[in-house]
Amino acid sequence: MGERARLPVDLSLAQGASSRRWMPALAAGLSIGEYARSLVRRLAFLSAILVAAIWALGGQGYFWPAWAWLGLGDLVLLDFAAGWAWRHPPGAVRRVACVWAVVGVAAVILVFTWLLTWLLAGVHTFWPAWALFGLASAGSAYSLIALHDRVLVAYGRRALRARIDTLTRTRRQAVDAQAAELRRIERDLHDGAQARLVALTLQLGRAELRVQDQPEIRGLILDAQREAHHAIAELRDLARGIVPPLLADRGLVAAVQSLAARYGLGTSIEVDTHRGLAPAVESAAYFVIAEALTNTAKHAGAGRSWVVLRDEHRTLAVLVGDDGCGGADPLGSGLAGLRARVEALDGSLRVESPDTGGTVLDVRLPCG
Amino acid sequence: MIAEDLALLREGLVALLRENQIEVVAQVQDAPALLRAIAGHEPDLAIVDVRLPPTFSDEGLQAAIEARRRQPALGVLVLSQYVETAYASELIGEDTAGIGYLLKERVGDVRAFIDALHSVAAGGTVLDRQVVAELLAPRDGAGQALSGLTARERDVLALMAEGRSNTAIAESLVVTPGAVEKHITNIFAKLDLPACSDDHRRVLAVLAYLRVSR
Repeated sequence: MGERARLPVDLSLAQGASSRRWMPALAAGLSIGEYARSLVRRLAFLSAILVAAIWALGGQGYFWPAWAWLGLGDLVLLDFAAGWAWRHPPGAVRRVACVWAVVGVAAVILVFTWLLTWLLAGVHTFWPAWALFGLASAGSAYSLIALHDRVLVAYGRRALRARIDTLTRTRRQAVDAQAAELRRIERDLHDGAQARLVALTLQLGRAELRVQDQPEIRGLILDAQREAHHAIAELRDLARGIVPPLLADRGLVAAVQSLAARYGLGTSIEVDTHRGLAPAVESAAYFVIAEALTNTAKHAGAGRSWVVLRDEHRTLAVLVGDDGCGGADPLGSGLAGLRARVEALDGSLRVESPDTGGTVLDVRLPCG
Repeated sequence: MIAEDLALLREGLVALLRENQIEVVAQVQDAPALLRAIAGHEPDLAIVDVRLPPTFSDEGLQAAIEARRRQPALGVLVLSQYVETAYASELIGEDTAGIGYLLKERVGDVRAFIDALHSVAAGGTVLDRQVVAELLAPRDGAGQALSGLTARERDVLALMAEGRSNTAIAESLVVTPGAVEKHITNIFAKLDLPACSDDHRRVLAVLAYLRVSR
């Protein structure tokens, strides 16, 4: 009661820092309810002093004001418990808080009453034990019933979040592994089948020199060599489709420069990225730009085109635009394929291509 | 000398060269060995694969450029599985003398390949026709000037860019050398290039034109 006893004194300093600390509602402007509560506290404190004074003046003896104090203390306790319970968000949680506030107040009253019976009347058995046990059981049972769905939902949400985390991580691993595997395949094609075919054409060339005088055999050898050349060209196109050699050897910027030069659109390239990119991100960015420039060259009739590669927070922004005729179909098959590729990396793809002209492809690729 | 990491191809090349009275003084498998061997043997010509160990990206090309820097008289023929105009431009740099850039499968046409080797060793220039085709691909800027050429003049321009001599161009197109000369004069006039008789300076002029207008 010592600290609480200072309350009425501090309340008189309505604008002081300590009043704000003890009665925040007062500083902010009191509601009727708040004012009533502060009044109850003041009256309780004054009454407590008054009965003690009457007892002191009335010849003392049996300390009967303790019972009055208990009653007054109960009032203040109830007030604080209600305030505490009301701070909870409305709904099941507030209802549970109210139940526990009542249980708590009842328990404190019981214990203090027992304390007084022990001190003043010499009762030695702890008679409120069963009542306290009953109150705690009732409070717990009510809490369980009121909050069980909430507990289950929270558990479900946690499990779901863990699952999403796992899926995100494993998908990224799968995409990265796939990109690395594709590069390995490209390298294997280069060092394996392609090299063997080159060696084959070389040997056929040597054989052809030896049979200059036998036109029939020479013709057969030249046919075989032609076939080998076709196979080499097909393998080359296949490897280029997997990962363009310049991308694998020199990285994204060099590959994009070469791409732009090949289309001859006078594309301006602005690069502001310094991070090392994962193969999957690099390939996705490359194929996005390649597809966009192909479309520009084929359909747009553009006078100007540009590519921007930029670090933005934890993503790589890829912007490809032109000032052509616009009207690109965002659901077209080429763009759908790109979208799938970008979304597999948790990226986003946006196409702005109004009929009034100009097309901008805006792709964001997270880089971990 | 030859730098190629695949034994099958390397040995095939060595056999091919020896059959054609070309001495192979060294065979190496990676870029550092190439630079060492060039310093030790001082060959007329180095045949280099673009992709070499250990990273299998473009260290063959880088080594070829470095070797040329150390020994400007060295002829370098770079073989590549792919045509990359960017690689060709880097290799050529400012000086086309003694430079070749060919697709690997061109080794199958033995006579043309041996001719190319001799040409590069003698300070000539050989560019793969796919590189030239890409340089000549229609596009803005140069495209307009190039589209002013007749089909035959474009053929002649392509062959010039590949590094062929007038005689070779005439043979290839089955026309007389006089006709080729007339075409060349027309091309130079239409593209506003300074006329020059020297083969390799001519290639330089043509390539410079094609690269600048890109």
